[in-house]
Amino acid sequence: MSSLLQVIDLKKYFRTPRGMLHAVDGVNFTLDAGKTLGVVGESGCGKSTLGRVIIRLLDATDGTVIFDGKDITNTKDVKSLRRDMQIIFQDPFASLNPRMSVYEIIEEPLIIHKMYSNKEAMHQRVQELMDTVGLASRLATAYPHELDGGRRQRIGIARALALEPRFIVCDEPVSALDVSIQAQILNLMQDLQEQQKFTYLFITHDLSVVKHISNEIMVMYLGMVVEKSGADELFERTLHPYTKALLAAIPEPTIHKTRQRILLRGELTSPINPKPGCRFAPRCNYAKDICFQQTPPLEEVEPEHFVACHRVREIND
Amino acid sequence: MTVTTKAGQPKKRRGQGKDIWRRLCKNRLAVFGMIILAGLVLLAIFADVIAPYPYDLQNYSEAFEFPSWRHPFGTDNYGRDILSRVIYGARISLQIGFISLSGGALMGCILGAVAGFFGGWLDTVIMRFTDILMSIPKTILAIAIATTLGPGLVNAMIAVSISSIPTFARVVRASTLTVKEQEFVEAARAIGASNARIIFRHIFPNVLAPIIVQSTLGVGTSIVLAASLSFLGLGIQPPTPEWGAMLSAARGFIRDQWYMVFFPGLAIMLTVFALNVFGDGLRDALDPKLKN
Amino acid sequence: MSDKLLSVRDLTIHYITDDGVVKAVNGVSFDIDKGETLGLVGETGAGKTTTALGLMSLVPDPPGKVVGGEILFNGKNMLKASKHELRAFRGKEMSMIFQDPMTALNPILTVGEQIAEVIQLHDKLSKAEAYKKAAEMLRLVGIPDERMTEYPHQFSGGMKQRVVIAIALACNPQFLIADEPTTALDVTIQAQVLDLMAELRKKFGTAMLMITHDLGVVTEICDKVAIMYAGQIVESGDLESIYERTCHPYTKGLFGSLPSLSKKIHRLSPIPGLMPDPSNLPTGCPFHPRCPNAMEICKSRAPVNTEIEPGHFVRCLLYESKTGEGEK
Repeated sequence: MSSLLQVIDLKKYFRTPRGMLHAVDGVNFTLDAGKTLGVVGESGCGKSTLGRVIIRLLDATDGTVIFDGKDITNTKDVKSLRRDMQIIFQDPFASLNPRMSVYEIIEEPLIIHKMYSNKEAMHQRVQELMDTVGLASRLATAYPHELDGGRRQRIGIARALALEPRFIVCDEPVSALDVSIQAQILNLMQDLQEQQKFTYLFITHDLSVVKHISNEIMVMYLGMVVEKSGADELFERTLHPYTKALLAAIPEPTIHKTRQRILLRGELTSPINPKPGCRFAPRCNYAKDICFQQTPPLEEVEPEHFVACHRVREIND
Repeated sequence: MTVTTKAGQPKKRRGQGKDIWRRLCKNRLAVFGMIILAGLVLLAIFADVIAPYPYDLQNYSEAFEFPSWRHPFGTDNYGRDILSRVIYGARISLQIGFISLSGGALMGCILGAVAGFFGGWLDTVIMRFTDILMSIPKTILAIAIATTLGPGLVNAMIAVSISSIPTFARVVRASTLTVKEQEFVEAARAIGASNARIIFRHIFPNVLAPIIVQSTLGVGTSIVLAASLSFLGLGIQPPTPEWGAMLSAARGFIRDQWYMVFFPGLAIMLTVFALNVFGDGLRDALDPKLKN
Repeated sequence: MSDKLLSVRDLTIHYITDDGVVKAVNGVSFDIDKGETLGLVGETGAGKTTTALGLMSLVPDPPGKVVGGEILFNGKNMLKASKHELRAFRGKEMSMIFQDPMTALNPILTVGEQIAEVIQLHDKLSKAEAYKKAAEMLRLVGIPDERMTEYPHQFSGGMKQRVVIAIALACNPQFLIADEPTTALDVTIQAQVLDLMAELRKKFGTAMLMITHDLGVVTEICDKVAIMYAGQIVESGDLESIYERTCHPYTKGLFGSLPSLSKKIHRLSPIPGLMPDPSNLPTGCPFHPRCPNAMEICKSRAPVNTEIEPGHFVRCLLYESKTGEGEK
């Protein structure tokens, strides 16, 4: 089966007063239709930027994005791309226009793309979308500020679904929600994927959430991919020191701890004017000289399991 | 929240407008201002019915009369009833105030939105243009334009319009810059909205609050500006009963016929005061919503 | 003399607004001993922050009002204290750390000045001595003291939170309230800050109220837990009782909503519905509309606090009948 999305050596740099910020620095992956790729990392790793570059909300500095066999990296007709590629935002408060009602928000993409010729058909479609995401029809005339985070996020999802896209970037869609609401929304997104065969790029900082919903997971640090493998494999056989630390840092909700404590030194920095060498080296408990001199390439260390670390074999055996 | 609980009914959902109205009404000073403005508007609309005399009815036998039952505000040097002239003056002043302001506001909003949204050289050119306008004091600018165009109501309105452009352009540009960065604007781009759609459907409704506030305050300034023009003999020409013109004409009679100056002056003061407190109240009422 | 540092009884705080009375906190009771840490767990709208503000007498009045209950700190009733007494009290005996480190620090004062400020306010030290102590505090939280003259914007989120902790602990208070101190931080930074807090707690013997929504964070740093829902504590006890022998349906629901790193689950089991509107609470038990075990009686009778094993309290009618007795 040919893949729906192919990303080849994608780079996005920003010019800042302090220098060139390498937000995304050479990311590669393929994603098959109907599957979910989880992208995990902390602040400054570039995951949100990656999502936005793929759907052309930002323009790539270098590299290629191939969607459904076509090179869309530099295409001028971005509007028609929107029919196939959509995004769900993190902040259910900021991503909705406070002056538009629920109905108007969901209806807007349909109007822009002239999807329906008459009002009746449009009305029906909006109703349908509201039903699909679990929004009561009486809320159609409500305004975002009257609703809670969970409902607002459902509006965002309905809006993303309106154009019947095939690929959806989910940018931390549940991070701003309460735990019990998170679970509701995650279930909804899973159900939708099962019914309508969406392909998701699921961006999050929460490893527990991503394990549950992804087929494959990619861990990013300061703009580069440090580990990539199947979802279960990543947790059963964690290879990169950063991924290990990330997993160890998550407080387990149990008094019988199963994981080893690993505390990292230092702070999360910004990838501005990065020098050659592993970007994680300054904080890594295993760093040796070579780690500071040569940038480790992303290599297939075990079948379908890629790691960017000079000492990966030594550390894990 | 519109949560339904088994105990209570769904909480009443209120439109944003009603929320704002409620907050506005709690501000007593603003309500006072609103009542005065409402009164002025009524006077303006029904001047023909309310005013006891036509504004240009001259009667030399009754000239320079002190305020009395027959002429509550007295009469001027031509024997015209000042009360009637003040009432008709409301119509003129409000017209000038609102129409000129609308013209200036419209131009200013468009310039400000374009500058803020597109940035770059367009922003620079527009902002330097408004800087030039702003560097000239409003009154002098209005005088200069009115002098160039010649006297008359329309020219006065044009002059006042142009003077109000810079403030609106600045206010709208600043708000646009903020709103532009909000996630829902990015979301609009993500669904394929064109720049025009984003500006009119997403940015404008969210910068409306400062525009409204600036407008109410601006009407007051426009009225004073127009009055100044008439005072100097530009703008409105006699016998049109514009308050500023009335002030000008009464200059020579201040000592003995103080009422000729007092009542038109009082009218200007009251109108501007009402507009200001109403504008302040409106800003406060809109503010908590802005925080959301 | 008992070890009890803080004793809260039936604390009730309401907000009087135009939309009605918001019953934010409804009869909350708990005790904290010297050196002990209580985790207060709940979701948005449960009333945790209002409770914390109530403890510090910082509830905005209007529209908030402490309608009932008492707060005894070292035996002294805080609700009856004068403004003067409270000011001397805050920062010295009881301190608070807020959620967002980005806005908790004054951007125009250096970090050293802000720590020294609280020291000078409470301990009678000269400026030079206060600054020396401030440098010591910075070192204690893992920041080199050369950075004393830097401004908040020069620090990252995690470091800012450390500074906030340094300010809170500068006068060695007996009690610290931490309102979601690590929620806004990245996961690896959160681990560092939690570790620091645990260390300092041991070093200074500070008692703590840790407010969080994260059941994992609780296990890292707390001795006991209280679960809050709709302004009430629905279950409380030591870590083992709550995590191993969970009783209240809401607490069970919370655990069930968590995606697990260790277990393989295909679908999460969230609690249906939403937290009730505090200005329109349901009758009887506030959780009954969402409770999978709700009985008919739950709609009309409010459950009382029942001790089902020593130290483990549940507010649920399912357990009331089991023991047959309870206390309010």
